[in-house]
Amino acid sequence: MRACLLYAQREWPGEERYFDEKAIVQDLGLDTLFRAAASEVVLEEEKVKCIGKPDPDLEDAMRKVMLVPLKTEEEILYRQEILRDCHELEDLIDGLYEFSGKVLADWDKLGRRAAGRAGTRNSPGNLITEIRVLRLFVTSLSRLKELLGEYQTKFRSKGFISLYERLRKEFSHELEQGLTRILEGIAFYASDKERDQETFWETKGNKPRIVLGCSMGEGLKLKDFGLEEVETDVKRCHRPASLIRRAQDFISEKTKTLVCIQRETGLWEQAEQLEYSTVRYIVSCCDPFFSAFNGFFRQLRFQAAFYRGAVNLKHHLERFGLPMCYPRVGGRETLCFRMLKEPVMAVEQHLEPVGNTCDMAGKKLLIITGANQGGKSTFLRSIGIAQVMMQAGLAVSAESYESGIFTSFFTHFTRREDSAMNSGRLDEELGRMSRIVDHLGEDSLILLNESFASTTELEGSVIAYDIVRALMEAGVKVLTVTHLLSFARRMYDQFRESPNSGVEFYSAQRMEDGTRTFRMVRHAPELTSFGLDLYDQMIGKDQ
Amino acid sequence: MQFRSILDKEESSYKGKLRPPFFQDLNLDRITERIRLDWGEEISSFYHYFPENGDCGDYRREVLADIKEAGLYEPLCTFCKAMKRRREAAAAKGAVELRLQRAVWHIRETGYYCDAFAGLFQGLLGKELHSRGMSAFREYLGAYLAGDFFGNLQEESRKLLEDMKAFRLVLTYENDRITISCGETEGRYDAFLEKLFPGKKEKLRSPFEAEPELADLERELLKAFRKRNPEFFEAAERFYGEYGEYADDKLIRFASEIGFYLSFLCFSGRMRERGFCFATPKIIDRFPEWGAGNSPGQASSVREAGTEEQPENLETAYQDAEPAAEEQPENLKAACGDAEPAVEEQPEILEAACGAEMSAVGLYDLALACTGREVVTNDMFFKEQERFFVLTGPNQGGKTTFARSLGQLVYFSMMGLDVPAVSARVYRFPDILTHFSVEESVETGRGKLKEELTRLAPMMKDLGGRHAFVVINELFTTAANYDACIMGRRVLEHFLDKGCFGIYVTHLGDLSGKDGRVAALQAMVDDRGVQNFKIARSSTRSRTNAVNLVSKHGLSYERLKERLS
Repeated sequence: MRACLLYAQREWPGEERYFDEKAIVQDLGLDTLFRAAASEVVLEEEKVKCIGKPDPDLEDAMRKVMLVPLKTEEEILYRQEILRDCHELEDLIDGLYEFSGKVLADWDKLGRRAAGRAGTRNSPGNLITEIRVLRLFVTSLSRLKELLGEYQTKFRSKGFISLYERLRKEFSHELEQGLTRILEGIAFYASDKERDQETFWETKGNKPRIVLGCSMGEGLKLKDFGLEEVETDVKRCHRPASLIRRAQDFISEKTKTLVCIQRETGLWEQAEQLEYSTVRYIVSCCDPFFSAFNGFFRQLRFQAAFYRGAVNLKHHLERFGLPMCYPRVGGRETLCFRMLKEPVMAVEQHLEPVGNTCDMAGKKLLIITGANQGGKSTFLRSIGIAQVMMQAGLAVSAESYESGIFTSFFTHFTRREDSAMNSGRLDEELGRMSRIVDHLGEDSLILLNESFASTTELEGSVIAYDIVRALMEAGVKVLTVTHLLSFARRMYDQFRESPNSGVEFYSAQRMEDGTRTFRMVRHAPELTSFGLDLYDQMIGKDQ
Repeated sequence: MQFRSILDKEESSYKGKLRPPFFQDLNLDRITERIRLDWGEEISSFYHYFPENGDCGDYRREVLADIKEAGLYEPLCTFCKAMKRRREAAAAKGAVELRLQRAVWHIRETGYYCDAFAGLFQGLLGKELHSRGMSAFREYLGAYLAGDFFGNLQEESRKLLEDMKAFRLVLTYENDRITISCGETEGRYDAFLEKLFPGKKEKLRSPFEAEPELADLERELLKAFRKRNPEFFEAAERFYGEYGEYADDKLIRFASEIGFYLSFLCFSGRMRERGFCFATPKIIDRFPEWGAGNSPGQASSVREAGTEEQPENLETAYQDAEPAAEEQPENLKAACGDAEPAVEEQPEILEAACGAEMSAVGLYDLALACTGREVVTNDMFFKEQERFFVLTGPNQGGKTTFARSLGQLVYFSMMGLDVPAVSARVYRFPDILTHFSVEESVETGRGKLKEELTRLAPMMKDLGGRHAFVVINELFTTAANYDACIMGRRVLEHFLDKGCFGIYVTHLGDLSGKDGRVAALQAMVDDRGVQNFKIARSSTRSRTNAVNLVSKHGLSYERLKERLS
C-alpha cells in the first residue's frame, strides 16, 4: 500500500536531490523557510505570533522534500492540486498528520515488531505484541478509511482521490472483515487483563474453540496439519434433533476418540505447545497484510507532514503580506513573474519586501549590475527561492510566476569569507565551479552572485567572460549578479546589437535624486556601482 | 559392456582420495567450492580424483555429451531430488530408537527408492544414448527393475504407504479439555485464510517436528492407534525385517556419482548465464604410450573430436565421433572447419587451431570468474616444436592468472569435463605438476630457496616417464639473479628433456634462450602503460620498456596534445 501523495506513482524517497543542496540551502537561506513551516502563526495586534512549539517533523519533511526537484510539469501539478485541497480542507491534512503520528507512537509503545522478530520469535510475549500490532493496524486502517470517507465528496485532487480508492481496494471490506474475524478468534491470546506471562496461558475466559486436523505420517510424527475452526463464540448449529441421531453421534464420538487430555496432566503442556503454534501460525498468515502496510504509516506521516508544513508556510508568508500563487511551468527560455517577493527576508526581518516584475522570454543569460544595497542579491535570491519552491510543487510568493523546470540547479554565491583577495580563495571558488561544471547540461540553471570577485577586476572579468560564454554556448541558463563591470560591458558591447542574442541586462533602479527603489529594471550596465550613493546615504550629502 | 560405474569403465576408487597437490595452486578448490554451493551437495571427492588411465576422460566426455544432447539433465536432477529425500528418510530412520518408528521410516525410504529409479528409467526410455556409460547403465537398470525383487519391494511398500494415508486425526481444544479422535477435516479455516491471503506460504508446523523421536503426546497417540490397527503395524515390522537391506550397490553408487556431471552442468549453466563460455575440448594423443602411436613432433591424430559448442546452450549438438584408432584425415579437416568465428580474425591462431597442436581460444581463469570479478580472456597455442611457455611481464599483469587458466584447461580436459574457453584442443596428460612460490613468506632468502627446492625435487625426480603438464610460477625469487637464471634454465631443460609440456612464469627475461622448444610470452600493457592482462607472444607484439615508461607517465606527443587541449 502506497500513500503516493508526493508522487503519483511512487513513494518517498524521491529521485536525486539537487547536486549541491548544501550550497543552495545556504545561499538562498532556505533554513528560514523550513523553520517557518514547522509552526502555525497568527496575527495578533498587527504582529505575527507563533502558536505552540515548532514541530521538528514538519521542518524535516519540508527540508527533505524541497531539496528533491520534481522533473515534469505533471508532477508539479500533481502536488499543486493536493496542496489546493489541503488549503481548502485544513482539517483533513491536520487529521491525516495527527492520525498517522498517533499510529506510529502507539506502534512504538508496543515495540516495533521488526526488533522482536530478530530475537526469539517463539516467546509468548512476542506473540502478544504481534497480535496487538495487528489489531493496531486493522483499527487504524478502518479509522483512516472513515476519515477519508468523510471528505470524499470534498477533495478534488487526484492524489487524495486515488489514495482513498487505493485504500478501499487494498484494505478491502473483505480483508477488513476477515482480519476482524481472525482478531476476534485469537483476542484471548493478547488479552489486556493478564500481562504476566507466567500465568498468561492459565487465564480462563473466552478461550476459543480450536479444531485441527492432522495425519500421523512419516515416522509416526504428527504432520500435515489443517486448521478447521477457530471461534471464540461458537455458534453451534443445532442439528435436526432426533434422539436416535444424537445417540448415534454420541456413540460414534466415543468410539472415535483416541485420547482425551485433561488439564494438569502430563500431556497438557505438549498439547498447549501445539495450541501456541496454531495461534502463531494464524498470526504469521497475516504477514502479507503486515508487509503491505508496514511502511505505509511512516510514509503517510512523512508525506502529510510536507503538506501540513506547506500550509503553515503559506499562512506564514500571507500574514507578512506576501501574496502566494501557484506557478506555471513554461519552457526553459521563459522567466516571467509579477510582484515576486523574497520570502526569507520577510520572515527573518518581519518586513514586507519590494516586489519585482520581470518578463524574460527567449533569454538564456541575465546579467544584473547596479548600485550596492540596491536589492540585486535579493532579486537573484527571490528567483532562486521561487524556483526551488516551484520545483517542490509549492506556491511561490508572487502574483504570478512562470518558469521552466531545471532539475540541475546550482547557486554559486560569493561567500563573505571568500571575498578577500587571496589566491587560495580563487582556487577554492574555481574548484567549486569546476565541480558544478561536471554536472551542467541543457536542463541546468545556475545563479552566480558576484562570482570570481576574489581576484582583481580585470582577471575576474576574463574568467567570468570565458566561463559564462562557455556555459551559455552549452545551453546552460545563467543568471548572474556581478560587480565585474568590464565583464558586463564587454558582454553588453558584444550582444546589444543582436536582439535575438538571448542575453538580457538588468540593473538596480536608481532615481534621479539617487534614491533606490530596490526594483530591478532593464538597463545597460553602468561603469559605476554607485557606491557614492551609499556613502551619501550613510554619511550624509553635504558634509 | 557391463555396467560398473558412471565415472569410469573400471571401478576406480575415488573415495578417501586426498586433494591432488596441484589443486590449491590452480585455485581449483575455489571452483569446487563454488560447484558444491551451487549444487548443494558434497561432491568434492569426485573432483579430487584425477584419472590415472587415459580412457577415463573420454568415457566421461561421452556421458556428459549424452546428458546434454539427449536431454537427460532434467530427469537426472529429478532423480537426484528423489534420492535426496530417500537419504533424508534414511537419516531420520537412523536417528530414532523406537523400532516401530524405524520401520515406518523404512517404508518411506524404500518408497522413495522405488519411485526414484522407476522414474529415472521412464526418463531414459526412448532416449538416444551414445555413451558407453549411459547405455550400459540403462541396460542394467532395466534388467534390475524388471526383476522380481524390485517388483515385490515396490508393490509392498506402496501398499503400506497407502495404508498410512488413512491415519487422520482431529484435535479439538475446548477450554479445559483437548480431545483427539480419528477422522477427517476439511481445513475450513485454512481455506478462509488462503482466500484472505492468496498464495500464503506459511504452514502450520508441529512443535515436535524438529525432534525425530516421538514426543509423549505422539507416543500416547501411537499406543491408541496400534490398538486399533494391529494388522498394519505387524505388516510394517515384517516388511522392515524382510527388506532391511534392499538397495542395489551399483545403483546407489550411480546415484552418488551422477552428481559429478550434474553439479558441473549446474555450475557451468549458471556461469553461462553470466556470460562465460565453456567448450568441449578436443583431446589429442601426442604421446606414444597414451594412445595412437605417433612419436612427438609428427602429425598427431585426433582421437576424440568433440566439437566446440555454442556457449549459451546446454543441449547443443554434440557430434559423437567414434574414437578413431589411427589417423583420420577427414576428421581432422572437419575439426578445422568448425572453428569459432572469433578465431578467424587471428590467422595465426586459426592456423594453429587447425593444426594438431594444443591450443585454446578465449581461455580464462575459472576461479577468478567464480569470484564475480571481470576476467580477461586469452588465446594460446603451441607451435610445432614448442613444449613450454616462458611468460614474463609487469607485476599484476595477469601472468599467474594465465598460468592457472592453462592448468585448469588441462585439469578439466582430463577430468572429462568442459573447459573454460571458447574452444580448445588439449593433449592427453597423465598428470599435472605445479610449483607456486609462497609469496608472502617472511623467511630469509636461503630458507625460502631451500623450501622451494624441497618441494621441487620430488616433482623432478619422481616424474618417471610421464609427460606431465607442468605449471611453474616464479621460482627462485630470493636467489641472486645469476644463480636464478642458471637454476631456472636447468629446471626448464629437465622438464623439456623428460618430454613434459607446461608454462614457466618468471621475472627473468632471458630464460627462454634460443631453444626451439620454448615459446616466449609476455603480459601486455596498453598505450598508457597500464596492465591489460593480455598475454601475447613476445616476438610479435612486445614493446620496449622505455616506450612503456614514457606512455605510462602520459608523456607521449599525442597524449600531451590531448591533455593540453
